[in-house]
Amino acid sequence: MSLTIALAGNPNCGKTTLFNDLTGSAQYVGNWPGVTVEKKEGRLRGHKEVLIQDLPGIYSLSPYTLEEVVARGYLVRQRPDAIINILDGTNIERSLYLTTQLIELGIPVVVAVNMIDLVRKNGDVIDLAKLGQELGCTVLGMSALKGEGGMAVAEEAIRQAAAGKAGEHPHVFTGSAEHALAHIEEPVSDKAGPGSLRWYAIKLFERDEKAAAELGLDAALAAHLEQHIQDCEKELEDDAESIITNQRYAYISRVVERCVRKKAPQYSLSASDKIDRIVTNRIAALPIFVAVMFLVYWVSMGPFGSFLTDWTNDVLGGEWLQGGTAALLEGWGVADWLVGLIADGIMAGVGAVLGFVPQMLVLFLMLSVLEDLGYMARIAFILDRIFRRFGLSGKSFIPMLIGSGCGVPGVMASRTIENDRDRKMTIMTTCFIPCGAKMPIIGLFAGALFGGSSLVALSAYFAGVAAIVLSGILLKKCRAFAGEVAPFVMELPAYHLPSGKNVLHATWERGWSFIKRAGTVILASSVILWFLQGFGFGEAGFGMVEDNNSSLLASVGGAVAFLFAPLGFGDWQSAVATVTGLIAKENVVNTFGVLFHVGGEAAEDDAGLWAAVALHYTQLSAYSFMLFNLLCAPCFAAMGAIRREMNNGRWTAAAIGYMCAFAYGASLAVYQLGGLVTGECGFGPGTLAALAVLAGFVWLLVRPAQTGAVRSQGRLAAAAQ
Amino acid sequence: MMPLTMAKPGETVVIRRITGRDETRRRLAELGFVVDGAVTVVSEAAGNLILQVKESRVALDKPLACRVQF
Repeated sequence: MSLTIALAGNPNCGKTTLFNDLTGSAQYVGNWPGVTVEKKEGRLRGHKEVLIQDLPGIYSLSPYTLEEVVARGYLVRQRPDAIINILDGTNIERSLYLTTQLIELGIPVVVAVNMIDLVRKNGDVIDLAKLGQELGCTVLGMSALKGEGGMAVAEEAIRQAAAGKAGEHPHVFTGSAEHALAHIEEPVSDKAGPGSLRWYAIKLFERDEKAAAELGLDAALAAHLEQHIQDCEKELEDDAESIITNQRYAYISRVVERCVRKKAPQYSLSASDKIDRIVTNRIAALPIFVAVMFLVYWVSMGPFGSFLTDWTNDVLGGEWLQGGTAALLEGWGVADWLVGLIADGIMAGVGAVLGFVPQMLVLFLMLSVLEDLGYMARIAFILDRIFRRFGLSGKSFIPMLIGSGCGVPGVMASRTIENDRDRKMTIMTTCFIPCGAKMPIIGLFAGALFGGSSLVALSAYFAGVAAIVLSGILLKKCRAFAGEVAPFVMELPAYHLPSGKNVLHATWERGWSFIKRAGTVILASSVILWFLQGFGFGEAGFGMVEDNNSSLLASVGGAVAFLFAPLGFGDWQSAVATVTGLIAKENVVNTFGVLFHVGGEAAEDDAGLWAAVALHYTQLSAYSFMLFNLLCAPCFAAMGAIRREMNNGRWTAAAIGYMCAFAYGASLAVYQLGGLVTGECGFGPGTLAALAVLAGFVWLLVRPAQTGAVRSQGRLAAAAQ
Repeated sequence: MMPLTMAKPGETVVIRRITGRDETRRRLAELGFVVDGAVTVVSEAAGNLILQVKESRVALDKPLACRVQF
């Protein structure tokens, strides 16, 4: 017999830890149909027949946020065999708000009071048996972080699911509210099943349209129910939704009073608060934040990080894997072209990407520590007042931070932003931040043309941040993004020492999304790229060509090169490098190595490559090229992530188109106007185009906002007068 | 009545009224901000507040904090 058990609870209640504990590695991660809310399910360890369904973290079952819609839809329509409701034992009152709603569904509920060890340590006592009596379901204590009691909860849930009987509903509502609910239950009892009758009655009382639609109420019955609701509202002098909310909290207070004995007084300055006093202090917050960020990047990108990358690239990738494979294949007497394909095509292409993995894992490890520590939520809070000035929310910063490692998990991190407009804007701008794979491009040009100046890398980050700020202001004035930034509400988890398991899990999840693309997109495109640059129409017709200039790649590059002429790099090599950069940004460097006949695996600090590049570009055209490649469409893997998160083809196209247009405009302005100053290019149509772009841009920045709905309302009001 | 932004760090107040659209009020209610409930200001930065409500810490920006009155 197969059973389904759903995990439900507030955000930050330890649900994910419990889920990982219960399912081990037997997990399946996907999306809920039609939305970008993560769906996780897995088999219970030691019980293959039991499916554990993780639900998104929610505070209630009202149908407003995406997470609530998903969780509620699942519970009401799929009706799992049992629900495990995880409570934060240190915040029991708030957690019970969801519990009372889950119980109303008529599905067996097992309440797991998490962090019970912390509760005991604080000197508080929760009478679990009494709490179970009050709620009409089994209540067990557990500690997800220590891995204690999770299995017992799951086994209790299996027992309840097998019995298939939910407990008695507790008496949450009183007086005329209960009276009205009973009146509503009566006529709809034949439509809703006996188990979920209470749930539907409450939802109908709250005038929940989805519930009414699910039951298929006719107009006459709806009017009859409305009468009962209005009578109750009149009597209690409040609106229906507030009546339900207030009575729920009143009930919870009564239960907590009976079952929980607190040692500490209601408010005392906890360690968490003391830390918050300092790190969110209006003066110290930003310097502390800058110091923390500096430390994170210094460790992951500084001497230690580059050592890791160099070692993986040169020793592990270059010598062992690539060299070893080539030697092995040659030893077997495999055809030359196949050795070339495997060693130079696949191994070099995939290897170049995998070279970033150690460095990236270090960065993600540090960010995961900050997250588990609780500091990440504070960063969002601290930066909110700055980001708000240019139309983004403080929560947009976390995707950008992760995006500085790799754009794919960066874009995916935008999920935590509830507001749809803010999330879309974040997705569109996250990839402007130079990711780890763009660093070699910067390194190459800094070394070849700017004497290795570190100012080039700094200016690249600055350009990325400037692009985000300008885009924020600019996009906010478009109709699709108009309106106030959604108000900032965020629960700040208490600081706690990071758990090794959680941190490693989060690090691996982000790192994996980067590694995965090496095995899929990049593997395929390496093969294609190898073919395109190795084959072409030579003197003897189509076949393998020695000279890159007659390869298929050259033909393709030559055909699109004219597009880039106004930007200062209208040669086919630059065009090809830009295109191969779409596969993975660091490919730009490899491509130059191949196209300029430097030979071997070209690294960004190869002297021969520097000389070739220095001959090919001027400082200005090099900067223009670099800028374009940093800002334009990200690699295919990141585009894939954008498509998944946008969940909409048109929005994806708009996002990528916007990035390309922005990059083109920026490079055009830099090259043409810069060239006018240095005398590299004369005054001509290009200059005019650059001036036009600049003027258009300034106009977009300063024009009044398109407020859409508000404006038309204003017009209506004016017309009415 | 005064908006929550007027309360000093460390001060505990009882909520008298929550204004604004239904959706905002509902969201605040889910987080524990209800009429007659107690709220403590933990810290304040440029009008944005970190509050203790029930047993958890919630950050609210200034416009939202103004809607909660005591």
